[in-house]
Amino acid sequence: MNEQLQNISTNELYERLEDPEIKIVDVRPVDAYNGWKLHNEVRGGHIKGARNISAKWMNYIEWIEIIESKEIKPEHTLIVYGYEEEQTVKIARQFLRAGYPNVRVYNGFIDEWSPNTNLPIEYLPNYRQSVPPGWLHDLLLQKRVPGYSNNKFVLCHAHYQNRADYEKGHIPGAIDIDTNLLESSKTWDRRSPDELKKVFESLGISHDTTVILYGRFSHPNNDDPFPGSSAGQLAAFRCAFIMMYAGVKDVRVLNGGMQSWLDEGYETTTEEGGKHPAGDFGVPIPSRPEFAVDLPEAKEMLKADDGNLVCMRSWPEYIGEVSGYNYIAKKGRIPGAVFADCGSDAYHMENYRNLDHTTREYHEIEKAWAKVGITPDKHNAFYCGTGWRGSEAFFNAYLMGWPRISVFDGGWFAWSADESNPYETGIPKR
Amino acid sequence: MRAILMKRVFRNANDNEIYMHINEIQDRIIEEMSARDDLTDKYKYIIDMAKELAMPGEQLRSEENLIKGCQSSVWIKAECKDDKISLWGDSDSLITKGMIALLIRIFNNQPAEQIMRADLYFIHEAGLSAHLSPSRADGLAAIINHIKTSVEDTLNT
Repeated sequence: MNEQLQNISTNELYERLEDPEIKIVDVRPVDAYNGWKLHNEVRGGHIKGARNISAKWMNYIEWIEIIESKEIKPEHTLIVYGYEEEQTVKIARQFLRAGYPNVRVYNGFIDEWSPNTNLPIEYLPNYRQSVPPGWLHDLLLQKRVPGYSNNKFVLCHAHYQNRADYEKGHIPGAIDIDTNLLESSKTWDRRSPDELKKVFESLGISHDTTVILYGRFSHPNNDDPFPGSSAGQLAAFRCAFIMMYAGVKDVRVLNGGMQSWLDEGYETTTEEGGKHPAGDFGVPIPSRPEFAVDLPEAKEMLKADDGNLVCMRSWPEYIGEVSGYNYIAKKGRIPGAVFADCGSDAYHMENYRNLDHTTREYHEIEKAWAKVGITPDKHNAFYCGTGWRGSEAFFNAYLMGWPRISVFDGGWFAWSADESNPYETGIPKR
Repeated sequence: MRAILMKRVFRNANDNEIYMHINEIQDRIIEEMSARDDLTDKYKYIIDMAKELAMPGEQLRSEENLIKGCQSSVWIKAECKDDKISLWGDSDSLITKGMIALLIRIFNNQPAEQIMRADLYFIHEAGLSAHLSPSRADGLAAIINHIKTSVEDTLNT
């Protein structure tokens, strides 16, 4: 095939921004789409209305299904742009081969669109808290990195009672953090302020330490005795929430976790990272108590017009087919909670992640949430069984800059433990 | 209904695979996929496999046969007769269904012990492992694990 690809000028693209026939496709990395200036562009983020189909995903055999999932159809005119013309043209040709006959290439993003403040760009408001692997790599080499002006950081490899997961290979310089240090293994709620203070200080974390968290996704299986031990990236989000609640000012998560690090071709190490106990945590714990909601407040929120209890469980859990956990007997849902569908089960978040475990395009999350009334003007408390999936959703809302967000820490575990609490099962009536 | 479940509708060229060893079928699949350099062509090959898979009966799509841990719904059922395994599978994701179709091609009508010991090298040598997203690789691992466990269960019943 030797199709002639037409370019599109900046002027024409600007004129056609609102044209429903047009689909603008940003093929740069997810982190660039979010706001990171990976090629030193003047303004970070993406052309307003663009969808992200990262060039990296062209390597996946199901690339065509990714395009379809973005509601991009052959009758649309695709405008493809990226960082480099050669790569962008190559990808544009692949779209043609895949059965999308109307494809044009835009080569002006870096030199024309990004520098011109009259041309609309969108970005994820708190994108700096979701870090790319290259940024972390440079930080570990003690290079100057954008969006960081601190002089102390701790890199944490999160896991649930699975130190072997850390020992078999971790990002150089990382220490391990077992979620059991931060949450009670009886209630699965965050630990007490005194307990948290001791743990943070022993790990070298003060309120003004920059903490970067990641985990390894290792195929959690519900039939295993401890599936959480294989859901390291979920564990990272759980730790992130608890640290933010406690008062750590600058908490970041490696976008995509260990998967992203490995996909970049970076090495891991088995050499133990040193824990350097810090002085006093520095502020009272919790400094951000509003980030956590417990059972009494959760019940109030169910009655409030400006609040949502957001159920981050899976559909089988929601309709009471399964409890989701081998240690929770009761099946069902909290009446009045808003369902936000994590994906397949208690240890997966497919609906909130791309296929490489990076965070899903935030416009898609916003749209899905808006459909069920989860909007930024309300107080949204995210929950699941015991708070992990709730924490990941919370972090997504935090990245989106939503002002009133919490995790309902006790979740279904706490709600179902009290026999007097009402619950529902079955497919909800409309 | 059982007669419909039992029928494998593949192209005529593959009908003799019921007499072939697991590795011979894998080698054939490797050859077929290697003839397709482009990833889009490999994708279409897998989708074609999905489309050719026999239509399962509704009883296959039961809670008992559902595999957990896959984003799309996946159902797998194994039965043993005269020491040979009959396998059925379905998914609401076309590409997952295509992967299931390949596994059924390899495992159907094979002795249970051989299935449980099988080294599925075709995934790597056909160029699939390099091109499966982490999520898809996760799902495929769950499906293979489930097939082997189901086959093992048939030996214990």
